[in-house]
Amino acid sequence: MEPAPPSGYDPMVEAYKKDIDRTLIRENLKLSVEDRFRNAMALARFAEELRRAGREARERERKRKP
Amino acid sequence: MTDFDALLSTLGRHEVAFLLIGGAAAIAHGSARLTKDLDIVYDRAPANLDRLVAALAAHKPYPRGAPPGLPFLWDRPTLERGLNFTLVTALGDVDLLGEIPGGGNYQDLLPDSIELRIFEVRCRCLSLRQLIRAKRATGRPKDLEALAELEAIADESSAAPYPLTNS
Repeated sequence: MEPAPPSGYDPMVEAYKKDIDRTLIRENLKLSVEDRFRNAMALARFAEELRRAGREARERERKRKP
Repeated sequence: MTDFDALLSTLGRHEVAFLLIGGAAAIAHGSARLTKDLDIVYDRAPANLDRLVAALAAHKPYPRGAPPGLPFLWDRPTLERGLNFTLVTALGDVDLLGEIPGGGNYQDLLPDSIELRIFEVRCRCLSLRQLIRAKRATGRPKDLEALAELEAIADESSAAPYPLTNS
């Protein structure tokens, strides 16, 4: 008979855990909490800039089409 | 984009009693995932509701996703009539929660929280263990990946002597 899984064990979560990039976690854990927030805000600004650039490119493309 | 720095500073300056939860709490614990809003569980004591009203009043809080022009009053009676508020403010999106599934209210959660000193203010944040418990309790499929990351952070934190806080 197999031993019972540990409390809180969820096979779905375990499946997702295999794909988690632990190098990112390890790098974050070396930072202060404040620097973790600063990085998150910088990443959010970058994501927002990418969205803006994407919108602009789509708009240019749309205008170029006859 | 949510200005975590300014939001936490204004809440801290006004001495609002709150706990950081959700994606922002996950970032504090080491998550690399992006979050768009600041989620907090706030103390519903009348004096704290006054402090919360004062802290956000200048930043034009308004129900997120609601049509413009509603007669929404940002005052203590409004907070007393509701429990959870999803707001947009001039500093970004803020979710104010009176309680959370699997955790309870501010007073219930307080013993299992940690103190952060961040952006020149002190605030409290759910412990990683409680954060994982709360995520499990929501049971939303979209949270599975976030939950997996939190559990991976717990594994990594127990395997190496990284500080969980900057204090």
